[in-house]
Amino acid sequence: MRLRTILIFTVGLSLLTAQATASERCSDEVFLRRAYLTVTGALPSPQACEKFLDNESANKRERLIERLIESELGMKYMLMHWGDILRIKSEFPSNLWPNGVQAYNRWIYEQLLNNVPYDEMVRGLLLSEGSNFREPAANFYRGFQKRTPQNFYANINLLFLGNRDCKDNGHLCFSQINFKSTKEWKEEIIYLDYHKSAPWQKIILADGTRLTPIYGEDWREPYVKWLTSRENRRFAEVMVNRMWYWVFGRGIVHEPDDWRKDNLPSDPQLLAELTDYFIAHNFDLRALMKKILLTKQFNSKMAPDGDFVAQRLPAEVIVDAIGSITGIWTTYSSRVPEPFTFYPPRTRSTQLGDATVSSTELELFGKVSRDVSLESQRNNTLTSRQLLYLMNSSALERRIRKSPNLQRIYQNNPTIEAISNAITLRVLSRRATQKEIAMYKEYAEKSGLPLMEVAIDIVWMQINSNEFLYNH
Amino acid sequence: MRRTLYLTLILVLAVCFGATAQKAKSVILVYLDGGPAQTDTFDPKPNMGRDYHGSYKGVCKTNVEGIEIGEKLPLLAQMADKYSLIRSLTHGSHAHETGHYAMITGDTSGGAVVYPSFGAVISYMKRDTYKGVLPCYISVTSANSRFNEGGFLGNTYKSFDTGGKPEAAQYEVEGIVNQFVSRERMEQRMAMLGEFERQPMNKQEIDSLRDINMEFIWGNTREVFNLHNEPDSVRQRYGKSRLGQSCLVARRLVEAGVPFVNVRMTGWDTHKKHFQKMNTMLPQLDKALSALIADLDERGLLESTIVLCGGEFGRTPKILWEAPWNGGRAHFGTVFSYLVAGGGFHGGKVVGKSDKTGEKVAERPVRPCDLIGTVYMLLGIDPYGTLPHASEGNLPILPSLLDTTKEGGLLYEITDLKQPSYEK
Repeated sequence: MRLRTILIFTVGLSLLTAQATASERCSDEVFLRRAYLTVTGALPSPQACEKFLDNESANKRERLIERLIESELGMKYMLMHWGDILRIKSEFPSNLWPNGVQAYNRWIYEQLLNNVPYDEMVRGLLLSEGSNFREPAANFYRGFQKRTPQNFYANINLLFLGNRDCKDNGHLCFSQINFKSTKEWKEEIIYLDYHKSAPWQKIILADGTRLTPIYGEDWREPYVKWLTSRENRRFAEVMVNRMWYWVFGRGIVHEPDDWRKDNLPSDPQLLAELTDYFIAHNFDLRALMKKILLTKQFNSKMAPDGDFVAQRLPAEVIVDAIGSITGIWTTYSSRVPEPFTFYPPRTRSTQLGDATVSSTELELFGKVSRDVSLESQRNNTLTSRQLLYLMNSSALERRIRKSPNLQRIYQNNPTIEAISNAITLRVLSRRATQKEIAMYKEYAEKSGLPLMEVAIDIVWMQINSNEFLYNH
Repeated sequence: MRRTLYLTLILVLAVCFGATAQKAKSVILVYLDGGPAQTDTFDPKPNMGRDYHGSYKGVCKTNVEGIEIGEKLPLLAQMADKYSLIRSLTHGSHAHETGHYAMITGDTSGGAVVYPSFGAVISYMKRDTYKGVLPCYISVTSANSRFNEGGFLGNTYKSFDTGGKPEAAQYEVEGIVNQFVSRERMEQRMAMLGEFERQPMNKQEIDSLRDINMEFIWGNTREVFNLHNEPDSVRQRYGKSRLGQSCLVARRLVEAGVPFVNVRMTGWDTHKKHFQKMNTMLPQLDKALSALIADLDERGLLESTIVLCGGEFGRTPKILWEAPWNGGRAHFGTVFSYLVAGGGFHGGKVVGKSDKTGEKVAERPVRPCDLIGTVYMLLGIDPYGTLPHASEGNLPILPSLLDTTKEGGLLYEITDLKQPSYEK
């Protein structure tokens, strides 16, 4: 490995643009599943699998990535990532409440839909004011647990600079923010107090930048201008690294929200190149995502044969996958706090948009409670209780037994070959191997079970397999 | 300054509590979700006229001189020496969400931090000492959707919901009892999985977790949930209702050493048809709760098991006869009642008083944090201690207990707990 690295450097190739060698490159079926799970949080349909696997064109991976990034499913999955760190939830003690949650989600989604550059989106959030129901971005300031300039500033530092411990006095830029309640239940106006006299202290940011708030103006503006400028490289770096973390489950700087001086990037050159690219492309989030998905790392085989480290699927993805496999989806509603919210049938849990709307399964697999803005709040470790659910839950067993998808598979062609192939396409997004089909045949013979029962056992087994539980 | 004060308090307390021997090992919370009417249960107002007592004009005299409870609770009336009643609980919220939050977390501070439920706190406090195979905090059959959360402690300490129907022929406990799969079938499936799985992802770790689960599914724990192990007479004693059989499950879990069991009965939010609903629900409650307390007592478990019964608030003492309620009771958090028994709580006593109409606290207000704090003390947990928050550092376990502007106090009068000198 070291020899190769040296070789690459001496030849002058950057790690980033180097194509994975044929032996390191993951197969098409692995790539397809990986791309779908990473970008959309959903499994590809059996039709999509077959279409992609049978496609002979050379640039089919790139086309697939582009399509997924721009798909509704893809953007809504990105919205979930944003919701996690912006703490979108209607909680008690309350900050947002259902109306605010909906407005806030919609606003972020529109930013993603229109591919609003990252710097512009952050300006929209930070310079927001008005009613939390009518000016959705203003929920940014309601979403935090304490309403003090210090706390706003600490969270802005955490979110956009990866700084967990800010020592400068930039919070003064947020000291005009005030809240005024209305007679409407949980509606509140976020407004700036323009009569507040400008702070007498000099505002000196960590990098030495001096800001001078002027009486009667919005003091957040000079700060936000500094924060989102191209010269403030850290702002771009943190986003690049966060996106890397969303894709690989591990940041180049890790934890992704901990950029203290002694927490060094594992690959500084990679980080620098991606950051240059992101800034040069005018903070284009989709372009950044595409760039990352075309890296050698993302196209590589799973470790230890390649660079891709398998990650356990997030709670929402597992729960939705079971929905799409069986064709029986969990229905969601929110009865507390009022007003009640009923989600349409077949709503994906990745699209709930509210951390308080949940299910036993989502909680079991570690849905983020959105209590803090740290990425580390998502816990994807596999526990014995999660395996207990997969192994022996009656609720899950019933869904497999009643699955219209499985019944259709069985009715289409009741042979062990056809069934195992169709199930494997649905659950593992690939075709069954000859060896596997032989194993299923042997299982059917040995157990003496009717074919439908064998099919149920195959679904059970594949859902329990680590090939299903991991993005690999 | 304030922090130093807390620290001093904690130090003093650590010394005080270290010496106290605690009796309680487990808690059973019989939670009447929706808010039961205190005037029809533990704090009757028979002399206030039909607008207040409605259909229930009478009362039950209990076996303790001077204590009367609702006329629909005759079985509980025969055993008032086993439990005490708190008739002056108050948090002032008339909304479900705020009421639940107050009663389940003890936090009425109005602060912005989301507190964990007290079951989760107990689970957290016992994380090193509780070695049982069963989860530390179990809900029969499900926890209230959101306020039994781990709060800032995180999901690790949340309740394990059994699901299923304890009153049905087979009680299907999620992940443990699955009627479709025999042991033989499961072993066949596991063998196929073993053959199929060759990928290196965490293979060894997953396999060892699966082995633990096979033991969990087919070992002794399964039998804890099997109500067929109980004689029919015992099952009848609790009543064949969901609540009755859930209480029986709770007793079995406590017997097996589980520290916190939450039995939740829904349907108490009786805005309309109040008395019709009470006519079926109160006898179920009477039977189940009296059987639970008596059964624990007979088995020598009441001494070490705290039993609590109540909801997120009470209901308006005055009946709403007008349309659209047509004889209903609305939410009421100003004054309501809880039953407490066992684990160091004395029996045969009444704490606090509501006024003549039952619309105000007349004597000795009890805040949710006073009740939960006393439960903590009985379990040997310092109610003035702290809990770790991911970004805020250590926070007080019961912030409302430190609020001296609101009247209240831990329930020393119905326990043998000693009031620390600094509190007086």
